[in-house]
Order: sequence, then structure tokens, then C-alpha cells
Amino acid sequence: MMRSSALSLAVGYVVLGIAALVLFAAPLYYAWQVTIQDGRSEILQADAMRLADVYRHEGGEGLKNFIDARVNMQIAGDRILLLTDASLKPLAGNLAAWPRALPAAAGNYRIMVDMGDHGIQNSLVHVTKLGDYVLLVGRDNKLFAPLERRFWYGLIAGVAVLSIAGLLIGLITRRALMARVHSIRHTVSAIIHGDLKHRLPTDRSDDELSTLASTINGMLDQIEQLVHGVRNVSNSIAHDLRTPLAELRSRLEELALIRPPPEATFAEIDGAVADVDRVIRIFDALLRLAEIDAGLRRSGFVAFDLVDLAGTAVEFYAPAAELKNIRLQLHAEASLRVSGDPILLAQALSNLIDNALKYTPENGAIDVTLRRRADGRAEIAVTDNGPGIEDSEKAKVMERFYRGDASRGTPGVGLGLSLAQAVAKLHGSALELSDRGPGLRVVLTMALSGAAPTALAESRATTSPEAPACAQASKSPG
Amino acid sequence: MKILLVEDNERVSQFVVKGLHEAGHTTDHTANGRDGMFLAASEPYDVIIMDRMLPGDIDGLAIIEVLRKAGKRTPILILSALSEVDDRIRGLRSGGDDYLTKPFAFGELLARLDALHRRALGINREIPLTVGDLHMDPMTRKVTRGDRPISLQPREFKLLEYLMRHADQVVTRTMLLENVWDYHFDPQTNVVDVHISKLRQKIDAEFERPLLRTVRNAGYMVTAAD
Repeated sequence: MMRSSALSLAVGYVVLGIAALVLFAAPLYYAWQVTIQDGRSEILQADAMRLADVYRHEGGEGLKNFIDARVNMQIAGDRILLLTDASLKPLAGNLAAWPRALPAAAGNYRIMVDMGDHGIQNSLVHVTKLGDYVLLVGRDNKLFAPLERRFWYGLIAGVAVLSIAGLLIGLITRRALMARVHSIRHTVSAIIHGDLKHRLPTDRSDDELSTLASTINGMLDQIEQLVHGVRNVSNSIAHDLRTPLAELRSRLEELALIRPPPEATFAEIDGAVADVDRVIRIFDALLRLAEIDAGLRRSGFVAFDLVDLAGTAVEFYAPAAELKNIRLQLHAEASLRVSGDPILLAQALSNLIDNALKYTPENGAIDVTLRRRADGRAEIAVTDNGPGIEDSEKAKVMERFYRGDASRGTPGVGLGLSLAQAVAKLHGSALELSDRGPGLRVVLTMALSGAAPTALAESRATTSPEAPACAQASKSPG
Repeated sequence: MKILLVEDNERVSQFVVKGLHEAGHTTDHTANGRDGMFLAASEPYDVIIMDRMLPGDIDGLAIIEVLRKAGKRTPILILSALSEVDDRIRGLRSGGDDYLTKPFAFGELLARLDALHRRALGINREIPLTVGDLHMDPMTRKVTRGDRPISLQPREFKLLEYLMRHADQVVTRTMLLENVWDYHFDPQTNVVDVHISKLRQKIDAEFERPLLRTVRNAGYMVTAAD
């Protein structure tokens, strides 16, 4: 039989049960034996005293006759009676000879006595000296044998019931356990073979296996989501890298076939280089995303001033905003120390502003707002008054390579928001998209750094076509 | 410039050696790390281009560390297919002076080599910069063209300063992003171009001869030459 934890547990309990039973029975048995022996010794002593009275009143001959009479009349019953002289030679009684192992000194003894016709009996005997005579009275223990036997039978029956019940329960438990383990194993092997939809069965009970099963189910959900993500990404890569590669290929193939004049060739080559650049760009973005998703960059967390970072970003995009006559403003406190990855946050914020610039119509407004939230986190919100995003599209826009209908014809590879989303995730939040009728508000939060200085709340760095925000960003990084 | 190229990919090295030759530089090339280390230690090069993954599982960074420990101060540009920020940081920490990810545009490589070389020659941060009739005093932060003062925003000043320090050299968009804004990512849209055209408005618009030029498929250059 294979090793089974349920079974060995049951065996353990059975052994423990038997030990407890024995521990309970042993003192009881001992006490019982002692009590009985005491009682019988008293009876024997009383017998001996009565015989001693006979000896005192009627002398040795009288006692001899008395004993003979008793033995002959069978009054003795299962009593042992023996009177000997000083040399232990039998004078009267129902024993043929003085028992060999028995000393002649007065006292109580427990010995095996050969009773002739009655066989050998386990007896308790009392020896007394009466003048020149030695008197032995005894009683067979078999009177109590049935009781003792019953005690032992009881004990053995107890042990047997305990063992059988224990093993039975062990086997039943094992079967129940094996059934559940089998179903888990079945599910897991289905998952190993690639069907990630399976989940472990759980019941309403909060027992150990159910808890374990629901934990494993949680893990499976996460794995399924990741696998799904990977599948999506590889599909997207297949699509979005193939397109520029196909263009490149046909461009080069055509060039080789047609062999146009040098000027046209160079123009085509420039086009080909631009195609390659697009592919490289997508690659870079994907690698960056993979790097963030793997959580590898959490080691790059440092404390820095978010206001500086946002100031640089707003100032960086100010000229582009000017071109569309968009009012791009930063609203922030004097300083907001946060803990995070400044390179990634700069990239995420720049993607958000870039996005807002793409979709906000001319003469629109974009606001970048930094604030300390009540829950102790720092928040960056980028709000525009462009067309916004339909509710049905909100989840999709964060998917990799997704480009809304409105974005057709604008530059970009469709990874901006998913990168911002990944960065948000790395910083312990999710990108929140909300409507600002009209317009879109995107919020990203991160932890404040431990030692955050209290800052005066003020609105600073106003960017408008007339006065760009550059004035505030004099402490630029080197 | 005398340049050492340690690179095992034949196509890449052919392309680089040819390009550098056309740009008027002499290039020694080796495909393995041991020769590379030997040459770098014994010959006086102006700049070394070091690939990271070399045959025999040698990491170019290990060679750089050995050279730096031996006291060699030659500027080194690391060439690598490893593009993660952490790889870049590790490369620069090991003693490299610049890091360029494969695949790269040749113009980008050339511009960075020029910048490294110039930096190694030593630039005095305080000395006023002059390109044609454009003057910049980094100390007083005054900029004039001819006799007309030009008022610049701080970031515009930084941008122009970087361009003028690399006058007559091509400066790529990536170099500008890294050195002027400290942005180590690609902001997708051509915001750098917008900054350049704003700067151009201020320094070139009212003058006959443009100093800030766009170099096709490469970047920008501030030059007084024709």
C-alpha cells in the first residue's frame, strides 16, 4: 500500500488510544489486585485464627481431628489445609506434602500448589506456627479468575474496537482525501496540458484544502491573465511589426526590380530607413514594457521631487502646445517628494501629455495637476478638453497597440497609454480614466516619499502661448 | 581621430569602419576581446568603440574595467544590443563614457564619437562660445548675435549652449534629449524639432545667414561654414 498521510495519522491515533487505555487500566488492575489480595489475606488469617483456637482448646490431636473432619466432609471446599509437625511431615489436611518452594516461616505467600486430583492451582497461602506444629491454610485464586478474565477480555475488546474503528476512519478519510487530491491532480494536469480555463473545485467549507484550492485558483487567474496578455502582445507584435516590415520589404524589392535613377533610389532608401526606425521604436517600447511588467525596475525607486519632473515635462511640451494654440498649464505645490522611478514616470507623464496634445483640438486646454491626496499618495492628473474616450473604449485604449478610430492618421505606435498603465502598476496604482464632459482626465498615483516637507499650496508655472512655463524650470537636470 | 573598434559582427564593423574612413578617421578593428584589450592598452587612441557581447562569452564591460584599473583614460563608447536602462547604467558605471544601443544610425555614432573626443580634449565651461557672429557667455548667460542681444528661456539657453559646444558637429535628437532634458526615452512625437524651430526663430530669423541647420536623417548642427 502506498504511503498515506491520512492512514499514518489514523494509525498514530490508534496507538495513542491504546496507550491511553492501558494507562487507564494498569492502575485500576493494580488497585484491584491489591484490594483482593488484602481481603483474602484477612480471610486466611481469620481461618488460621479459628484453627489456632481449636488448637488452644483441644491440643494438637484435637486440631488434627478437626482438620481431618473438615477435609473428609468436604467443608474445606477449595480451601487448602495442612497440618505438619516441626519437620514439615504432613499430619492432616488435603495436601499430600509440604509444597517444595514454600518456606516454613510464618507469613503470606503466593505459590503454585499441587492439589493432586484438583491439579495445580495458583493459591494464596498463610503459614502459622502452633507449638510444634506448622499450620498452612490457603485458598485457590480461581474464584476470581472469571472476573479477571472478563477484565482482560474487556481490555482486549477495547483495544480491538479502537484499532478497527481507527483504521476504518483512517481509510475513509484517506479515500475522501484521495478523491479530492485526485480531482486537484486531474485539474492541474489539464492545466499543464495547456487548458488554463480549469479551476480547482472548492466547497463552501473553509477547511485547509479549500483554502489551498482557492489560493491556487487565484494564482491560476493571474497566470491566465499573464498568458492571455502575452498572447495578445505576440498577436499585436505579429501585426504591428509585420506591417512596417512588409512595407520595407516591398520597398526594397521594388527598388531591386525597377532600378530607378539615383535620386529616386535615395528617396526610397530614406523611406526604408524610416520604416526600420519605426520597427526599432516599437521594439524599444515593447522591451520597456516587458521590463516594467517583469517588475525589474522596482529596484530603481528613489525619492525625488515630482514637481520638478512635471515642470520639465510641461516645459518640454510647451512649444508643441503653442503650435496648436493649446493652453498647457501645471498646477502644483512648491514641492512634492515621492518615491518612484523618475525615468519611467517622466516617460509615462510625457506619454500622457503627448496623448492629450494629439487629441485636444486647437485653442483647447490641458492641465497637469499634482496634489497630495487624503490617502497619503501623490497624484498626477492630466486633463484635456478634447473629445474624451467612450466608456466602451476605456479598457481597450490601455491594451497594447490599440489605436482608437480617432487616432488613425496620427503618429505613434499605440503603446503610449499601455506604457503609462504599466508604470502606474509598478508604482502600485492603476491608470484611472474619467470623463470631464467634454474631455478626458487621466490619473496616476504613487507613494509619497517618507520625508515629505510640508509645502505651500500654490498654482505655479502657467503656460500660455504668451508666457511659456520655462521660467520655472531653471534647475534642469544635467 | 584615431579610433579602435572592438566588434565581432562583420557587417556592423565593415559599415562602421567604412563610415569612419569616409568621415576622415583612421580605424583599427578587431573582432576579439583579447586583441582589443591589447591594442587599447598599447596604442594611443582618441576614442574606443567597444561591443558588449564578444566571442568566447567575453563582456566588453570586463575589458573596460581592466583598462580603467590600468589607468587608461581613453574615452570609450559602449555599443550594445542590451537596451534596458539598468544595462546602460551598468555600462557607464564600469567606466564607459557613452552608451549606444544597436541598431543605431551611423550619424548618431559619429556625433557621439565627436562629442566624446571633444570632451576628452577638455572644455573650459567658463570660456565664451562663438560661432560666426553668434556669441554666448556661459558666465553671464548673455547671448548676442552681431550687436543685437538675444533673450532666451533657460532651457533654450541650455539647448543652444549644447549645440554651440558641439559646433560644426552633427548633434542628434537623442543626444539633445539626453543632454538638455535628461530624457532617456523616445517621446514619440517630434517635440525636439519644435524646440529647435523656436530657437531658430530667435537666433536666425532676422539674419541673412542661418547658423542652426537641420542635417537630413541625422539631426542638427550649429555652424558658420557654408
